[in-house]
Amino acid sequence: MTGASQPNPPGRAAAPAPAGVAAAPSGVLLAARGVTVEYPGVRALDDVSIEFRAGEIHAVVGENGAGKSTLMKVLSGLVRPTTGSVEVGGRRAQFSGPSDAIRAGVAMVHQELNLVPALDVAENVLLGREEVMAFGLAIRRGAQRARAKALLAMLGADIDPARSAEDLSIAEAQFVEIAKCLASDARVLIFDEPTAVLGERETTRLLALFRRLRDEGRAIVFISHHLDEVVAVADRTTVLRDGRLVQEFARGAADEDALAAAMVGRELGSIYPEKGVAVTDAAPAIELVGFGATGRSRGISLAVRPGEIVGLAGLVGSGRTETAEAIVGLRRSTGSLRVGGRDVRFTSPAAARAAGVAYVSEDRKGRGLHVTMSSIENMTMPSLDRYARLGGISIDGSGERATTDRWIRDFAIRCARPELPISSLSGGNQQKFALARWLEAGPRVLIVDEPTRGVDVGAKGEIYRIIADLARRGLACIVISSELPEVIGLSHRVVVLRGGEVAGELPRERLLREDCEERIVRLASGLSEEKERDA
Amino acid sequence: MSDSSKDRSGSGASADAGKATVAAAGSPRQGGTSRGPFELGRFLERWGVLVAFFLLLGTSTWAEGFDFLSFENFRTMLNSNSAVGILAIGMTLVIVSSGIDLSVGSMLVLSAAFGVTAMNWVAERGQSELNSVLVAVAAMLLTGLVAGMLNGALVVVGRLAPFIATLGGLAAYRSIALAIAEAGEIRSSSATLFAKIGRSGIPLGWESGVDADGNLAYAGLLNAGGKPLTLTWAIIAFVAIALVAQWFLSMSRFGRQLVAVGANETAARYAGVPVGWVRFRVYAIMGMLAGVAGAFVSARGNSVSTSGTGLNYELDAIAAVVIGGTSLRGGFGRVWGTVIGVLILAMMTNILTISKVSVYWQGAVKGAVIVLAVLVQRGRRA
Repeated sequence: MTGASQPNPPGRAAAPAPAGVAAAPSGVLLAARGVTVEYPGVRALDDVSIEFRAGEIHAVVGENGAGKSTLMKVLSGLVRPTTGSVEVGGRRAQFSGPSDAIRAGVAMVHQELNLVPALDVAENVLLGREEVMAFGLAIRRGAQRARAKALLAMLGADIDPARSAEDLSIAEAQFVEIAKCLASDARVLIFDEPTAVLGERETTRLLALFRRLRDEGRAIVFISHHLDEVVAVADRTTVLRDGRLVQEFARGAADEDALAAAMVGRELGSIYPEKGVAVTDAAPAIELVGFGATGRSRGISLAVRPGEIVGLAGLVGSGRTETAEAIVGLRRSTGSLRVGGRDVRFTSPAAARAAGVAYVSEDRKGRGLHVTMSSIENMTMPSLDRYARLGGISIDGSGERATTDRWIRDFAIRCARPELPISSLSGGNQQKFALARWLEAGPRVLIVDEPTRGVDVGAKGEIYRIIADLARRGLACIVISSELPEVIGLSHRVVVLRGGEVAGELPRERLLREDCEERIVRLASGLSEEKERDA
Repeated sequence: MSDSSKDRSGSGASADAGKATVAAAGSPRQGGTSRGPFELGRFLERWGVLVAFFLLLGTSTWAEGFDFLSFENFRTMLNSNSAVGILAIGMTLVIVSSGIDLSVGSMLVLSAAFGVTAMNWVAERGQSELNSVLVAVAAMLLTGLVAGMLNGALVVVGRLAPFIATLGGLAAYRSIALAIAEAGEIRSSSATLFAKIGRSGIPLGWESGVDADGNLAYAGLLNAGGKPLTLTWAIIAFVAIALVAQWFLSMSRFGRQLVAVGANETAARYAGVPVGWVRFRVYAIMGMLAGVAGAFVSARGNSVSTSGTGLNYELDAIAAVVIGGTSLRGGFGRVWGTVIGVLILAMMTNILTISKVSVYWQGAVKGAVIVLAVLVQRGRRA
């Protein structure tokens, strides 16, 4: 069997083409009718009615806590509405779990990817719908791989189906996840912040894929914090605020500013704070000379002075995060590193912290914070020694509480009960804690990796202001980000990495020019070969 | 500079407080935020172990009469389960760190065997009974500690999965003990002093005079024969260790780091927690507690049976931890739950034995209870 000819999935007769699937006369594939979801003391969704049509990309935007995720959970069968109903193809549907939704043709690509690391790509793509020999005696590995390869090719992703899912980058894993949904022949694909973990190039590819899937007659539901993407790709955009549907915009009816205003209920100014003037004659706070994370990056030379914000741009996999991790001793490193003029090599983040270097991870849920532990415990984790009493036999609880309360005030963190698990906070507030816990250690050098991933627009602006303030007070900052406007808006200069090496650098003046974004993209993707310090 | 979102009068403070709750409630896996006003599942997840305890207590009392509730009966149950209890307390800490220690029973017999052998060796060379008993106790603690440190080194330095590393210990440590005594018994040479560690304690009654027949009469807590009960050192040690362990788990830096490592090792590493050192210490502590338990077990019998002492104790210890509500995935645990878990296992054995249920069937009942405990508390594991 060739990869191109797809056999019919079990359970569904010969109707593989999504366009041929019965839809309501209006083309509505999936709809929520007056859906209300109540949790004790709170109404997560309030009488929301929304329709998703075949051949349409429908974006749902809103601040964290606006009810987007709850709505998606209702649509994908994870949560049952308190009142109201979900309709599939015009008929009322009762989902008792995600598997019901998938059977009805509604598939969700989760924010947290759900691949089985021990299996290979093909096995993941066809999980639950394996190609088996007669009587299920064995899996037909060749056929599986061919089919997985065909599905991935449809997505424009060149991923070897025999690779282990463990080795995939986040972007690749996402494509595999989408292929999985296609394998289940989903008519409605729900994407929960799919681009949050992607670099510019992968994002472009994903958005192109959305258009292709739409043109095949599927309905694409798309949650994003990136309003530029929404404006670029969505045929229809729904804005949620505080659990209610605020407004629905047809394509072209709203630009980014209008969407942002609808989300927060007021006009937003520029979210990037003014840059302080970097003190350029001070001795560097941190200096990398021919530095690299063993096996991932090499030959990086970079000096950051007190008060300076240096942006580190590059595609996913360019070695930015790995380099940062090598600096604070989470990975082996090559080359030399000087902090405050002294040669150092850290063996752990604790040692780096003691020398005044802090790293805030990009992966807030997996590495940056302990989501099951309280805000207070998270806040004091890196500096716990300071609260130890009697050699660690007890912990100064009131001191911890006081510190936490102080940062809650300083950073305007919305956290009524810091003794509850930090997972009860929105992404933006969690991120503020992730920053605060390291600032509490009083670093001279701060490395922040994707500081606003999964953070809503309002909190984004606050985080930018915090970083700018810190720099103004003499902290040397390195900001790693895949969002170009962010890197450009925040940094005094930008260093671009490609394939683990410095591809180029844009000084301050260059960042003011209109084409700087394009310039970074060209450097990051290797379109311009010459390594130059300035144009 | 804009003041973009400092002030959010649009949504209001109450709505914001609500938002935080939505985020929590929307992801039912995380945290303890409850989903309904009262849900039986949630309640049982948290307090199920106490419910089970009182149910069992009620059933036992109903089946056996009020004698079951006597102090004497509880003292006897506690006394005979204190060794497993001490192991289970250490196991709670190990499991909170998302590890496991299968070698506790073997560490127990090994330290007991080394200790008694050392005691006899010293006594043969003319040392006083007191000195040789001190040597015995020191040797037991030291042996347990070293064995535990070896486990810890295999897990931390050797990067072995705790299950595998301690599976090796389970086989090896007992094998060494068997080899020393050729699978037999090692008798203590101490006439009375060593046995006192296991049998004596603080008497709970006192002489109150002479009765009509001219015999001594006692007041206080007495056994069925009218003699004072003894609160054995083993029970005192069990309770004291439980209190200290609960304190360390919930109040100390070590406990905090243990929870952090168990909940998410990577995040702990990124936060600068000395993950390896934390893990190493918890296995070392476990080993030392196995030495303590070994001292009480061997002292009570004044001997060590290398083939029987401490056999399958790891299973009872793990069972007690699980029944007590500690998450096998790590990152959450409670010592008091484990103590109740030990009591539940003890009561079950007690009632099954008294009701003349065959020993062969008792395992089936115990197994069912363990599985039930996990089922009831699985919300936390999800």
